[in-house]
Order: sequence, then structure tokens, then C-alpha cells
Amino acid sequence: MSTNLVLIIALPLLGAFLLPVLMRSSMAIALWSGPAILIYGCWIIADLWLSGFAQPLSVAIGGFAPPLGINLYVDSLALLFAFAVQLLGLVFWPFTLDQESARRQSLMLLLVAASTGLALSGDLFNLYVFYELAAVATFGLASASGSGAAYVATLRYLILSGIGSVLTLFGIALIYSQTGTLNLAHLAQLAPEQLHNSLGLTAFLAILIGIGVKAELFPVNTWVPEIYATASTRLSAFLAGLLSKLALLIILRLLLLIFHQPEAAQVILILGILGVISGELAAWRAREMKRMLAFSSIGQLGMIFIAMALPDGKGMLAVLALSLHHLIIKSGLFMLAEDWGGALERLRGSAKASPLGAVLFVLFSLSLVGMPPLPGFWAKFVLITELAAQVEPLYLLGLAVFLLATVVEASYLFRVAATLYGSPAQDTLSEEIPKTKGLSLLTASLFGAGVIAVALLIAPVGDGLQAIAAQALDVDLYITTVSPAVSGGSQ
Amino acid sequence: MISAVTPELILHITAIGLIAIGLAGVVLSSHLFRMVLALVIAEAGANLMLVLAGYRWDAVAPILTSRAEPAAMVDPVPQALVLTAIVIGVGIQALAVSILIRIRQRYATLDRKEAAERMDAEIAATLGAPRDISQEAPLGERPLPPLPADQINMRGDSP
Repeated sequence: MSTNLVLIIALPLLGAFLLPVLMRSSMAIALWSGPAILIYGCWIIADLWLSGFAQPLSVAIGGFAPPLGINLYVDSLALLFAFAVQLLGLVFWPFTLDQESARRQSLMLLLVAASTGLALSGDLFNLYVFYELAAVATFGLASASGSGAAYVATLRYLILSGIGSVLTLFGIALIYSQTGTLNLAHLAQLAPEQLHNSLGLTAFLAILIGIGVKAELFPVNTWVPEIYATASTRLSAFLAGLLSKLALLIILRLLLLIFHQPEAAQVILILGILGVISGELAAWRAREMKRMLAFSSIGQLGMIFIAMALPDGKGMLAVLALSLHHLIIKSGLFMLAEDWGGALERLRGSAKASPLGAVLFVLFSLSLVGMPPLPGFWAKFVLITELAAQVEPLYLLGLAVFLLATVVEASYLFRVAATLYGSPAQDTLSEEIPKTKGLSLLTASLFGAGVIAVALLIAPVGDGLQAIAAQALDVDLYITTVSPAVSGGSQ
Repeated sequence: MISAVTPELILHITAIGLIAIGLAGVVLSSHLFRMVLALVIAEAGANLMLVLAGYRWDAVAPILTSRAEPAAMVDPVPQALVLTAIVIGVGIQALAVSILIRIRQRYATLDRKEAAERMDAEIAATLGAPRDISQEAPLGERPLPPLPADQINMRGDSP
């Protein structure tokens, strides 16, 4: 069973490099091998989940036991995100039947492999390698359209991402020089003695800013509007929906396991608040759908950072709920934006031309704002109750900003909804009104169905998330799972 | 406790200095190629930092040449890490340069501001929406109404 788990990283990686070669000999095999690999990955994870997965496992790679070897750490949280990666990789697969798409498909497989690695890896430097791999795949996919704007946007993203990787490497060097290990479980054991000091805090800040580039953290998110405006909508949906969450997951793991200090949480809280303010206000001002969604996702991730900053892991459930909620909603909204790009004014009267698209937009908007029966309400409700229970003024400021941001969100989303349902101007022809169509509408309705299903099954979903959160919070469980011998022989 | 200047201290300062120079270069330079070069400098600093993390002055390279174990060896892990980091860095630099060539082909400039200007203009054109921020048409009202023509004449050096 455990060897199978390595395959969900190894197979997409292998496929990514074989695909261009396969393409030359047989088009048909090459076109179907990518989706087949992803479906197999989904099946492995689903099989593991259904066959009574309760205790987390640690998979040592190459037969070297941690802390010397690299290990994969598989708990329900990691498994959930790994499954989401494979599934969304399939959903956002670039289905086209030409020679040009071979490169895009192999880059997509590379992105999936790296993202799965980000979800599962239990070694700090291994995480850095997967992070860079995901970055390279993203650069290739973002510049695939070949326009000058796409190249400039990609280069600016590359430089920012390069700064991020330099800082991450710096942080890793600091940690290694202090502790002499890079295994997360081993670090978690050593951290209370060796890393809860100013050096550990410096290392955490460097890694936070470094990884934060992908998580759209406040000062390092200038790439977001440019990339989302120039790259294909499917890539934007994958980046905004999933890759940002994986970066978030890494920061969360580091915070829980290694840098469990109030100062670290405070920095995250402040950056989160600034992210919410800047993102939501910029989204309110945006006059174009894709850029509006890009800025709004900065704001949403800021909210998740606020939740992450709550002391003693109280925000864990909120982080999980908000992340998954944002994953579904933003992916759906980006799929709608595929055909609804361009100035918002152009969309006037689109509800008549594509009623299903408009209904889905309203559904997503309502859930994002937090209308009671929809899952967005519960996610936000958990965060609000936890924030309100805090006494420190900074958390209350976070609460105030959070509530204000919800109002701003409602304002700009319903402005679009009103435009959709407004009557078109007299002089526009009906052909000029953009319609949602075909594949993107189908994908968006898939996410819409997901939202409704979660809304109906909110009680079991909530219980499940609570269990996952509790398991992720258990640092001792992490340590004993990875290295049973070291931790006093409880096994 | 001010200790003497050791080679180790000098190297640590060099590493942090390289990172600082590189980051400053990325922020300050006005040419896209120089930004990439500055990034290379910063990466060199980070790599040096990583090598220093496991280095010992009284030890030998971690290669077993004979059966007898030497007294002390340098920690091999950071050296393996640095190799990986260098390879990744070179790959990304090559990618950056290839993207630079494409930008040069499309826009015939590598000036940072000019390229960003043209990118904004192109995005605005393809999306069919006005630009969010623009030098020519700032958002909102003018803070002061423009002066009428006759008043401009009154305050200057009128003929």
C-alpha cells in the first residue's frame, strides 16, 4: 500500500518527461496517458481512504529511514490535498488535440507531480525542491500563450519567485546550521530547545516570505493580477485554487510543528490583515472579471492567514474550511470567467444569453460572501466565533477587518450579478453579449454541484473536517509516526 | 564578547552581503537583464550560507579513500543540498534568459518600466477594459481644477 503512494508523485513526473517522446510515435497513447495517470492517482488515494485509513503513515523513500532518509508523511490533511491535486489536475487538463499541446500537457503533469509532493513531503529541503519544480512548471504554462504581455508577466513572476527561493534557502541554511537536520519530525523534536529564539524567528520569517510568494501573501503578491490576466483561465484556476493552498499548507505545517511561537503568529496575523485590506479594496476597484477574481483571491487568502494566526491551533478548523471553500468557489468562478473576460460592462444582460452561468455566478458569490445555508457561511462563522473569543486587540482588529471585507466583497460581487441580470444597452447586438459555453460551463457546474452537495451534507462534512484538523494538530502523533524509536518507544 | 575576526565570520558576512546586494539589485536596477543577474548574485549568497552551515575547518572532504576512517569529515548533507540548489538555480536562470530573449523579440526593449508599460497596455487591450492604474489618466477627481488660460499668463513672466 505504502509503495503505491510514491507512485502518485513518481508517475506524473515520469509521464511529464516521456510525453514529448511518446507524442512522436503515437498521438493517441500520448493524449490519453496524462489523464490515465491522474485517474490512477485518484484511484490510489480513494482506495487508501476507503480501506479504513485512520492512522497517519510515514513512507520512507529508497529504504532509508528518517531522519537520515527522506520520508512522505501521509495524514488525512495531506491525503485530502493530494487527492484535490490529482482531481483538479484532471478537471483543468488542457484537452486539445494538437502537437502544440504536448508541451502544455507535460508541464501540467509536472505541476501535478510537484504539487502532490508539496502536499506529502516530510522533509524541508525536499519541500523546497518540489516548490521550485512547481514554479518552473508554472512559468512554462503561464508563458504558453506566447504574447509579449505573458512573457513580461512571467519574467516578473520568475524574479519575485526567485527572491522567494533565495529567502527560503537562507531560512533552510539557518535551520540546518542550528539543528543539523531537515526532517520535519526531527525538527519538531528539536525545535522547543533550539529554534524558539530569535534565530528561529528569522528563519521562519525568511521561509514565510519565500513560500508566501505562491500563497499570495501580502507584500509578495504583485504577480497575481498580471499572471491571472495573461495566463489561461484554467491555469489561473489551478494556481489560485490549489497551488496557493499548498503553499499555505506548508506554512501551516511549519508553524504547527517547528515555529510554535507567539511572535510568528503575530507576523502572520498582521500580514494577513494587510492582505485582506489591499486585496479586497483592489478587487472593488477592478473593472474586469479576471482581475477582480485575482485581487479577491488575495483578500481571501489574507482571511485564511488571519485564521492561521489564532493561538494554540484554534483556527485550524477555520483554516481548513476556508481553504477548501475557497478552492471550490474560486475554481468555479475562474471557469465562468473564461468566457466572461473583458470589461464588466460588456456582461450587461448576459443572464438571458446564458442563464445557467449567471445562476452559478450568483450561487458562488452568495457562498463567498457567506449566505447561511451555503458552506461559505459555516467557514466564516467558525472563524468569527474564534476571533471574537480572543482578548488581544490585534485579533479584534482582524475581526473588524474581516467583517468589513465581507461587506466590500458583497458590494463588488453583487455589482457584477446586477450587471449580469441588467437589461442590455439598446445598441448592442445579441451576438455581442458573451456567453458561457461548453466545457468551461460544464466544469463550473461541477463545482456548483459540489457547493450544493456540501451545503446539504454540512453536518458530516463538518465532523470530517474537525477530525482532520485534530489529527493535523497532534504534533506528538507526527513525531511518533515518522520516527517511532526516538520518541520514547510508545510504539 | 568581541572575538577576533575569523575566516568563518568573514564568510558569513560575505554570504549575507551577497544576498543583500542581490536583493537590492533586483529592486533598484532598471534593466530586466540586470535584475536576473542580481538574482544570480543573491542565489550565490544563499548557497554560500548553506555550505557554511555544515563546514568545519579542521576536517577533510567527506570522501572515503581508504578503510581507515579519518578523524573528522565535513558534513556532506549541506554540500549535496548546495549541488541541488545550484542545479535548480542554473535551470531557472536559463529559463529567465530565454524569456528575456522572447520579450526582446516582442517589445524590442528590456527596460523595466517600458516593458511593464507595454504589458499593462497589452493586457488592457486584450481584456477590453480600462487599466486599473495609469499615468495618463489617474483615477478620481483632480485635487484642484486646472487653471484658466488667462491666470496662467498672469503669474508667469508676462511679456
